[in-house]
Amino acid sequence: MSSVTIRGVKKKYGAMDVLHGIDLQIRDREFVVLVGPSGCGKSTLLRMIAGLETISGGDILIGNRVVNDVPAKARDIAMVFQNYALYPHMSVYENMSFSLRLKRMAKDMIDRKVREAAEILNLSKFLERSPRQLSGGQRQRVAMGRALVRDAQVFLFDEPLSNLDAKLRVVMRTEIKALHQRLQTTSVYVTHDQIEAMTMADRIVVMNAGKIEQIGTPLELYDTPANLFVADFIGSPSMNFLRGKLEQGAVVLPDGSRLAASGQGAAGQAVVFGIRPEHLALATDGTGLAAEVEVVEPTGANIQVYARVAGMPLCAVFTERHDFRPGQTIHLIWPEGKAHLFDDATGHRLQGGAN
Amino acid sequence: MTGKLKRSLIYWAILSPLMVVILFPFGVMFVTAVRPRAELFTYPPTWGFSEFRWENFSEMWVKTNFGGALLNSLYVSVAATAVALLLSIPAAYAMSRYRFAGKGAYRTFLLMTQMMSPIVLVLGLFRLMMSLGLVNDLNSLVLTYAAFNMAFTIWMLQSYFNSIPRDLEEAAWMDGASHLTSLVRIFLPLAVPAMVVTAIFTFINSWNEFVLALTMMRSSEDFTLPVQIYAQVAGRYQVEWHHVMAATVLATVPVAIVFSWLQRYLIRGMALGAVK
Amino acid sequence: MANRFQKSVPLMMILPGLALALAIIGYPIFDLAWTSMQDVSRFGKLTGFNGGENYHEVFADPLFWESLWRTGIWTFAVVGGTLAISMPVAMILNDDFHGRGLARVIIMLPWAISLTMTAVVWRWALNGRAGLLNATLMNAGIIDQPVEWLATASTAFVVEILVGILVSIPFTTTILLGGLSSMPQDAYEAAVVDGASGWDQFRHITLPLMKPFINIAIVLNVIYVFNSLPIIWVMTEGGPANGTDILVTYLYKLAFRFGQLGKAAAISLVMFFVLLAFTMLYVALVSRNDRDDAAPEEEIKA
Ligand SMILES: Nc1ncnc2c1ncn2[C@@H]1O[C@H](COP(=O)(O)OP(=O)(O)OP(=O)(O)O)[C@@H](O)[C@H]1O
Ligand SMILES: [Mg+2]
Repeated sequence: MSSVTIRGVKKKYGAMDVLHGIDLQIRDREFVVLVGPSGCGKSTLLRMIAGLETISGGDILIGNRVVNDVPAKARDIAMVFQNYALYPHMSVYENMSFSLRLKRMAKDMIDRKVREAAEILNLSKFLERSPRQLSGGQRQRVAMGRALVRDAQVFLFDEPLSNLDAKLRVVMRTEIKALHQRLQTTSVYVTHDQIEAMTMADRIVVMNAGKIEQIGTPLELYDTPANLFVADFIGSPSMNFLRGKLEQGAVVLPDGSRLAASGQGAAGQAVVFGIRPEHLALATDGTGLAAEVEVVEPTGANIQVYARVAGMPLCAVFTERHDFRPGQTIHLIWPEGKAHLFDDATGHRLQGGAN
Repeated sequence: MTGKLKRSLIYWAILSPLMVVILFPFGVMFVTAVRPRAELFTYPPTWGFSEFRWENFSEMWVKTNFGGALLNSLYVSVAATAVALLLSIPAAYAMSRYRFAGKGAYRTFLLMTQMMSPIVLVLGLFRLMMSLGLVNDLNSLVLTYAAFNMAFTIWMLQSYFNSIPRDLEEAAWMDGASHLTSLVRIFLPLAVPAMVVTAIFTFINSWNEFVLALTMMRSSEDFTLPVQIYAQVAGRYQVEWHHVMAATVLATVPVAIVFSWLQRYLIRGMALGAVK
Repeated sequence: MANRFQKSVPLMMILPGLALALAIIGYPIFDLAWTSMQDVSRFGKLTGFNGGENYHEVFADPLFWESLWRTGIWTFAVVGGTLAISMPVAMILNDDFHGRGLARVIIMLPWAISLTMTAVVWRWALNGRAGLLNATLMNAGIIDQPVEWLATASTAFVVEILVGILVSIPFTTTILLGGLSSMPQDAYEAAVVDGASGWDQFRHITLPLMKPFINIAIVLNVIYVFNSLPIIWVMTEGGPANGTDILVTYLYKLAFRFGQLGKAAAISLVMFFVLLAFTMLYVALVSRNDRDDAAPEEEIKA
């Protein structure tokens, strides 16, 4: 097991810059998740760590060793591919033992390791089958098994669950997490699913357009997003944003309503007031932010209400059952310290937050 | 169900004239190959004949030196296929897996060579083989067939190689395999079917080639089958048609069977490789 | 250093094949160009530079012009006829019906057999006395006397064109089938919903979408047919009285019968340039298809 250090790493494809200087320190035994929208460069970064892409600038270190020019096979890294990349002409057993056979490990040793891994992954019954004869979930597990037998320094995962159905994804998510707790191998996991990121990660790296937007634990990202992008990306449904102007300790919306806020900013500055849907509650006394209900969506566990405030859309989630009707005006309040304040021009979080 | 039945009947009715014309020469071949010599030129001409003379085949074998020509054809086709494949596999792999300077130019060059036909170059080729001392040497055909087939084999192979996911080789590298190991243990086993199909098509092309064989092989013991059969017909006062037809039956039927079995691969390969 | 080596790997992989192609296909072109400007003895000895004399001779030769004209007819008729038959055949073979596998095998059959053998068999089948075509037509009562199919140039040429069409159908059908099988099914369904008849569908969906495939089938066929020697050579050797000569048979006779090597080289070069023009057209068509494909490919990768 080993740490991974990424220092000022850049990637260009011809004239196109795909990564613009990534700095990231992944600690030993840590489970780090890279999230971001499609095309932001997650896979590229992962493949550079793996040694499958050349590095256009900066350094990548595994442990204390700079590996920029070390070929993939010598980096001692295991990787689970999005489409699993199982060798179609080999049985499950042969797939899992391939790397060990390349190392010329003793036969009985290989056998022990493969069976051990198969046991952990519930694959013992399928060892003689060919990948063709497995279900999607089983294939995914073989891909994991192939990484598992390696005792590699680092595990890399590139959207390993994206080809599974929603239920199986949740199951495998838990299994991978349990596996990591047991083996403690340094892991880098790419996904564009923020729920996967939140549930699995020790730390999350949010990427956008070839840059890192924020690094932090899931709760740090949830509680104190560094900018509008992260605030919008983390959490579901997304955070509500109300645009207004800062005036004497309050955000003034275009329709004149005032939201108490204690952000540090110049008076008159254009700001964005952020509040998560799940933090909104109904005011019983008719005070609070007035919103006009447009659509009501009960999910069973809760009710999602889409409303409009000063012409801007807003979503609220209630766990209690209310009987809302479109056109109705409701009044919303939120607990102190749950609101966020961002500079509208730069998107950066304004220290001090809002109330 | 009845809709499909009706459609089938209509389609077969539309196709049948074409099929009759396609199958007609096969009928001619068989009927002539087994009839007695005396019944070749009966008047009025007729499909019927009095007895099956299978001895025509054994007589033909001896009189036309069929065995020798068969061996020549086999040698040339096998060797040309081997050379073409040996040179095409790495080239197709490079085209499918690497970006490199000049790739576009190489693609265009391949397209051009595929269009160049032996007949236009035949005089130049003859002079080239003269100067190399390869006229009357079957190896001249091996080299030319290999060269003229390579554009086709590279395309065919490349289109199949493209369908083998790159992931697999990357996974092997991650598993600690060198490029060579991943090539030998992962890539090549998966590419075998493609190579077999391509090899068979190259073989058939070489087997059927006429112009170059006619030009380069000047003495009859070096003739390949098409030239040998042509020689039984061309410039002779008395053509032993029953022998000629027996020879064409033997030379074409095995190839036609293999081809029928493989033609669906060709449709796929053409659609993927040659046209795109 | 390691990087430089890696960069040269793909080049080393294409190099051996490239070398062979350049030697066997590239060199003869230069040799022909060189030879075409020399006096050449019957035995292939170059006896001196003679400027454009060979070309003058070629262009002054009425047989050249006749062959050229006939090559045009031959190419146009064979390619046109092939396409007219292959299009409906491909559409039928692309549809689902009982025995489709067998139908495909039969239609593809002529491709498996060398043109030489096909031509030999037809030469016999068309024999003026005992040919089985005569037998068939007489049995059917269409003719009452055997016909000497290959004895007059005009009939022989027509027959040769028909055989040419027959052997070109499999290849053409294959290309068109490749195109048809990549046709989007939902476009047809949408058209049916919009009230399009079968003919409308063909006119407004099949034909436009098939255009690149039809173009390529035309260009490739033009090149192959333009270059095709065996059918005419085996059936009539360009005769009777040079009446079925096309450029390739004429060229072959000049070079290997009459020993007029300089003149033959000149014709080769003329043909080479004609071919080059067609090839350019083909390259342009193929790369246009590639470009059309490029956009969706990018999307899938991203
Ligand atoms: N071989 C290549 N040549 C040129 N550009 C490329 C290449 N590979 C990737 N890119 C570009 O690099 C960018 C980042 O790609 P990458 O695959 O890393 O995205 P990603 O974050 O993994 O997205 P996804 O979530 O869709 O997998 C994209 O804009 C992509 O178009
Ligand atoms: Mg990706």
